[in-house]
Order: sequence, then structure tokens, then C-alpha cells
Amino acid sequence: MFSNLTGKFSAIFNRIRNKGKINENDIKNCLHEIRIALLEADVNYKVVKEFIDSLHDRIQQEKISESLAPTQQIIKIVNEEIIKTLGSKQNNIKMNSEPPTIIMLVGLQGTGKTTTAVKLANYFKKQGHQPLLIATDIYRPAAIEQLQVFGEKSNLPVFSIGRNESPINIIKAAIKYSFKSNYDVLIIDTAGRLHIDNDLMNELQEIDKNVSLQEKLLIVDAMAGQDAVNSAKVFCDKIGISGVILTKLDGDARGGVALSLKKVLGVPIKFIGIGEKVDNFQLYYPERMASRILGMGDVLTLIEKVETAYNENELKKIDKKIKSQDFDLNDFYLQLKKMKNIGSVEQIMDMVPGFNHLRNKIDITKLGDREGELKKIEAIIGSMTVEERENPSIINGSRRKRISGGSGTTLSEINKLLKQYYQIKEMFKKGPKLKNFSFN
Amino acid sequence: MKIKNILFQFKEGLYKSRIELANKLGFLFTHSKDKSEFLEKLEELLILSDLGTTATMEIVDEFKQINFKEYQENNFIFFKEKLKGVLINILNSTASDFKVDEDRLNIIILVGVNGSGKTSVASKIAYRLKNMNKDILLIPADTFRAAAIQQLKILADKAGVEMMNTKEGADPASVVYDGLSAARVRKKNVVIIDTAGRLHTKINLMSELEKIKRVILKEANNSSLEILQTIDATIGQNAIAQAKSFHESLGVTGIALTKMDGTAKGGIVIAIKKNMDIPVKLISCGEKLNDLYNFEADKFIEALLD
Repeated sequence: MFSNLTGKFSAIFNRIRNKGKINENDIKNCLHEIRIALLEADVNYKVVKEFIDSLHDRIQQEKISESLAPTQQIIKIVNEEIIKTLGSKQNNIKMNSEPPTIIMLVGLQGTGKTTTAVKLANYFKKQGHQPLLIATDIYRPAAIEQLQVFGEKSNLPVFSIGRNESPINIIKAAIKYSFKSNYDVLIIDTAGRLHIDNDLMNELQEIDKNVSLQEKLLIVDAMAGQDAVNSAKVFCDKIGISGVILTKLDGDARGGVALSLKKVLGVPIKFIGIGEKVDNFQLYYPERMASRILGMGDVLTLIEKVETAYNENELKKIDKKIKSQDFDLNDFYLQLKKMKNIGSVEQIMDMVPGFNHLRNKIDITKLGDREGELKKIEAIIGSMTVEERENPSIINGSRRKRISGGSGTTLSEINKLLKQYYQIKEMFKKGPKLKNFSFN
Repeated sequence: MKIKNILFQFKEGLYKSRIELANKLGFLFTHSKDKSEFLEKLEELLILSDLGTTATMEIVDEFKQINFKEYQENNFIFFKEKLKGVLINILNSTASDFKVDEDRLNIIILVGVNGSGKTSVASKIAYRLKNMNKDILLIPADTFRAAAIQQLKILADKAGVEMMNTKEGADPASVVYDGLSAARVRKKNVVIIDTAGRLHTKINLMSELEKIKRVILKEANNSSLEILQTIDATIGQNAIAQAKSFHESLGVTGIALTKMDGTAKGGIVIAIKKNMDIPVKLISCGEKLNDLYNFEADKFIEALLD
């Protein structure tokens, strides 16, 4: 998937591609786009502000404007900074040394507490624990039934004594019951509540005071907006949150709330929910979240791939050739081969800022993104003389016939290849120079 | 329903955010030393209300031209009126009420992502229309989520409205078909269909909804059809993508903005209106059956800025 930021970056990129170095203004433009991208990802306004300020400092300290591929460098730094903020290591659940480990799930309405409770129980069961779900949502109609049905379906026991007892009494009864039946992880599903609902927040405080809770996990919708920080803060202040579970990440929300919560509350994100099935549940990895928030995982992957596929000397050579307009069929073949190692040509066109707008102009599906195509191209170029490869313009009708015979391909296939070569060459002439779409 | 009463309660629901905003607006003026600081604070205010960057930048641009000194001297009421005008302009492009026709079957279907408040809004609408002496049938087409049918049943009983019976796991389109047949036989005025929550990115689930719509169009082509999408006010910019997808699949006829009883500002409605022309019709703010209000752009903004 292609995101906003990549597109916006490529626009800036195209504007500055002829300058070689970028100036303070270009950096400002880049930072502006990053800022917008973070805000569009629903990172909290204040968090974005702080983040951009520290980014600006780092870019100046590291003299990015003088480096060879400044925009790529900036992207990398942004990514690093986000990962740094998100926390570098993943956080599992702390188990109590003496069972049971009691975990309480809290959050606003509709964030996915009940579903997450079952998923979490399932996660512990797979690790060899004996989890018990405790139904304390006595307010929402059929909430207890929901937990029972989903629990039953997933072969997980649910403790419930109906909705006439207070949550604290239900929990106390469940703890008693767990000792008899050897359950070692108790997961409390609570009612969704507004952070400004004092009665219900007091209820949580009451539980917190009377039950030794190992973990108090805040369930947060990955699609949450700017207000998420405010509500989370209240939950934190009132009962002290030990971790966050981010839900509904199987959609296309960028999940900027992850960054905001980590920054504002300093609380780690522990798991993510990625679907409606009981096992659509994972440990949380900050690196993956970082590129999701920025919406440019593709670009980062490409930078990594390209860095390994090309070395600098090769690049300089190619760059020089393109500049001097003697990009010949040998180079063409070499490029195709390298691109094949990175991914299909189409993928690359998609991934490289500045190239995506060119992709409609040439028939890229036929550009050797398939094994067979590349073999054919290899055979055709292999049947050419050195002179023909270096100067394709001399390939006339009779030469084409000879090449066709030698490579076992048809004349139209040769014509197609030559057409593609000229298109690429033309594209280089008009489009971004190789150095600037930055394979370095 | 007494409009005055609605407005009063509606405002009460927004009480907290209103005070906060008014204070902030005043603060913008008294604490900004120059125009650029003022514009930055305005931007912050709008972004924090979930208006999104596009709408925010446009509004901020409108205020770039102002003579800041003049505004400051005329105190912030002057500015508030201008801001209100800009916001109403965005929201008002299509004014459209939530209403039901007298002389034919009215079909209302609730759609939206998981946890956005469909079941809740379905029962609130049922309650409201029942008080208007409509004969209503609730159809539980969320046969997927555990106990979703029971949840609707409890709410239907509370509202004193009939709900069709069905089983978990049944095909939702068939449930809707059966429900529409039953409604026709029993000469109901209104059918309210509650559907399963689904993320807008799930193609198979979206086509399930499209199928339900086809069934409705085939079975009840002489009725009025309201396709209401619930949008959670606490959700951020992803709500735009949600609205777009559901609209493309179904042709959404209105938005019900939910969970407005919290501290989220619901500015996402403005961001959505910037992107597509779907009218916001209802506001849901509270857990009681009567916590449902007609959306009125000017009053919504008034309540926010007053």
C-alpha cells in the first residue's frame, strides 16, 4: 500500500533533486510533511510538536543537509526517533511469583475489552497456563453473555455470578474459586466507562484497593483520535495503568495513538489485536508500529534492500552513464537483474519516491518482473554483438532477425525489449536522475 | 419531542467541552502576543478537536488575512462569530433531517466499524420512533458477535419495541429478508436493522453488507431506506476512511455521531464533511435510551463555541 507521506516526500524530492544539497528550507519542508503525516496518523498535537522540535535539532547536529541522500537520511532518522519513543523492547506480562496472576482490563466503551479478554486468556492457555475469565460488566446488556459465549467457543472457562453482584464481589468470589480449581491467571473483563464518569471510575479504584492486581491494562482502539491522551491520563491517574493493548489494528488506522500514549504516559504497549478471531492477537513490536505510523514501511524496506543490492561504486558508474546518456543495453540488463533481487519492477516503481508518478507512462508489467521475462531478455541481449549492446541504435531489421534466431525469441519480443529500453532511457533523461531517486 | 428540551440536554451533554473551548478561545486572544502565535494556537485547538489537518489548515488560512490588532481590540466574540461562520459553512452544505415517512415502510439500517455504537443507536432510534407511535420491528442482523442478539433483545424490551427472533450464526442477508417479509405481513411502519460491526477494510464483510442492501432493494423497493453509519466521536482521522469506504459500498445516507458524552470534541464530523457530502443526522451522547438528538449544524457549533 502506498501512503500519503511517500507521495508528499516524492514531491519535495522532485523539487530539490537538481540541487545536490538541500538547504534549511528543504529540511523545513520535509519536517512540515512529517508533521502533517504524524497528525494525520492521530498522534497527539503536543506530542508531534515536541517530536518535530527534537527531530530538527538532530538533523542539524548531524549535518544531514551535506549528506548524499538527505531525504532518505531524514526518513531514517524519523523512523529511529519514533522507534526510540515507542520503546525499544517488547514488554510481556509480568507473572506473579505466587499464583494467581490477576490482570484487569479497562477502557472506554467499544474499544474491545471483552474480545481482548478472551484473546489474552487464549494466549496464556497456549503458554501452558490455566486462565480464568471473570465477567464483571454488569451494566452493558448481554456483556456477560458475550464473554461466556466467546469464552465457551474458545474453550476458555468464564467465571460469572450474574449481574446482581458488584464487580468487587464477583472478583473476590472468582479468586476463591480459582484456588480450588488451580487457575493461575485471572483476567477481569470490566464494563466500558467514560473517564469522566466518577461513579464508575471509583468502582475501579475500589477494585484496585482491594485486589492485588498484577497488571492493569488499558484497552485502546488503534483508531483513537486526539482525545485518547486525555482519557488515558485519567485512567492512569486514578488506578495506575501498567500497560496498553492496542485493538483493531487489522484495519488501516495508522495508530498514532501508540506514540502519544507512550510519550505522555510512559506506559508500554504490550499486545495488539488484529482481527476478530481468538488468535488474532500478537505481542507488540515497536519497529513495526513506527513505519505504520509514518505510513512508509515500503520506503524503509526499499532503502534497506537497495543498500544491500548496490554498492556505491556501481552506483557512481551507473549514475555517470545515465548522465552522459550512454546507458546501454548492458546496463539495462544489469539494472533489471538487480531490480529483480530487490523486488518486481512494479514494486520498485511504487516504492521509490519520484518514480511512482512515472509508472503509468510505461508498461511496467512487461518489464521483466517475471522470471521468464528476464530469461528471455538475457537470451536476447546475449545474442547481440558487443557493438549492438553498446549502441542499440544500429540494430536494424537483419540484425533483429539474426538475434531472434540466436535467442530463440520472436521478432516482436525483440522489438518489445528495445522499446522498453528506449522508454527507460527516455525516462532517465526526463525523470529523476539516478542519484536523486537515491540508490545511495 | 420538545425541541427546546432536546437542545438543552444536547448542550448539557456538551457542557464540559463547551466551557473548555470558550476558555480556550478567550485564552487564544488574551495570551497571544502576535498573529503567528495566535494562528498556531488556533491550529492546536482545531487539531485537538480532531478536525484533521486539511480542514484545520484551511480554516487557519482564512484567519491569516485578519488584522490581529483589530480583532484583539474587538475582543474574541468578533473572532468567534467568524470561526462559527467558517465551520457552519463546512457543515451546512447539505442540511438533512432524520425523519420517517408516514405512508410507507421506513427501513433504517445501522452500519459501522466495531464498537462504534450501532446496537445502542438502533435501540435509541426505536425508542424515539415508538414514542412517536410508530409500529417498529427491530432486526438483529449481527449474527456474528457473541451475544449481540441478546444485547439488542434486552434493549428492545427496555424500549418496548418488538424484535424479530433469530439465531447466532444465521446468514445476515437471510435474516434481513425474513425480517422484511414479517414487517410487510404485520404492516409495520419502521424496520430497524442492526448489523455486525466490521472494519471498512474487510472486503468480504463489506460485500456482505452490499448483499444485505440488494436484498432490501429487491424486497422493499417502495420503502424509504436510511443507511446510517455510526461514527465514534473518539475516533481520529481514520473515520474519514471509514466514511469513504462505507459510502462507496452502500451509499450512506446519514451519519450518527456517537459517544459525544465524553471529552472528545467530534470535530471529525467536519473533517468528514470536507471530504464527502454525507449529512450528519443524529448525535448520541449517553447510555440512556433517550440520549439521542437530531444534529443541527448551527446548534452543534454554537454548543461547541458558546
